[in-house]
Amino acid sequence: MNTYEKFRKLMDNHIMLSFKGEITSDIITMVLQIMETRLDSVSEKGNVKKKIFNVLVECMQNLYHHSEAEEPGNIDTRRAMLELFYDNDFYYILTGNYIKNDAIAALRDRIDRVNSLSKEDLRRYYREILDNNIISDKGGADLGMIDMARKSGQKLFYQFHDVNDSLSFFELRVKVAKNKPKLDK
Amino acid sequence: MDNLIIEGTRQTPEINFDVESGILKLEGRSIPENTFEFFTPVLNWLDAYVNSSPDKIVAKINLEYFNTSSSKYILEILKKLKVFKVEGTEVLVEWYYEEDDEEMMETGEDYEDVSGLPFEIISFEEE
Repeated sequence: MNTYEKFRKLMDNHIMLSFKGEITSDIITMVLQIMETRLDSVSEKGNVKKKIFNVLVECMQNLYHHSEAEEPGNIDTRRAMLELFYDNDFYYILTGNYIKNDAIAALRDRIDRVNSLSKEDLRRYYREILDNNIISDKGGADLGMIDMARKSGQKLFYQFHDVNDSLSFFELRVKVAKNKPKLDK
Repeated sequence: MDNLIIEGTRQTPEINFDVESGILKLEGRSIPENTFEFFTPVLNWLDAYVNSSPDKIVAKINLEYFNTSSSKYILEILKKLKVFKVEGTEVLVEWYYEEDDEEMMETGEDYEDVSGLPFEIISFEEE
């Protein structure tokens, strides 16, 4: 692919932001700053903008706390990816990070459970976890998935990609519906 | 004891806890990666303030965004306020949300439910 083709692909896929590397505190601040400006400029209503921003905050929080190193023991290789794009109906927040194979089952269960709940049940579950969980050193990570499902109002899409005997690559895709122009009745 | 005043940043909320009036303001956004660091002094201050036995406290919570690790600490703050109530202080929580931010309104209701404190959930117009 030549450079122009690459450029066209980025344009045609409506990629608003694409990042790969270590998610540091500085990167988070920077990404949020850029996205706030960009979402302002696409003139999304406050509501949708807030949803996207909320999901983005939570996604980066997850990457920051839970990314595994690509090379065991070398924290400089905690590489992850983040991409924001849209189509006609949705905004998508896509993240990818390394995860230990033995952590997959628990994570899968957690997301499946969140996806199986109705809006009201999700709310009840949120209150339950909020009330009962003690604060861990990584904050309220258990709440993250529930919160993203609530804020986005959509099911969470995920996939685990095989890497090697000890690691997999965890893909999470959260979508937020665009504002639909209201039809006159 | 001294008032607790912490300036807001792009990541952390503005805190203005006033000993004399009992008005505890928490405003802005709370999305730091390390919530423990930020909230520990806030919780410690509240622990000390209980000993002043104020007649009345009003917590004014007006947050634009907060992450889930902050949400635990917000509940911790409310739990501390419960201690004041048990000690005989009149406690009111005013929870503010921007008109179209239904999630923030619901979150207020969630906190009202979980904390068991008296809440006023107040909407305001977008600027």
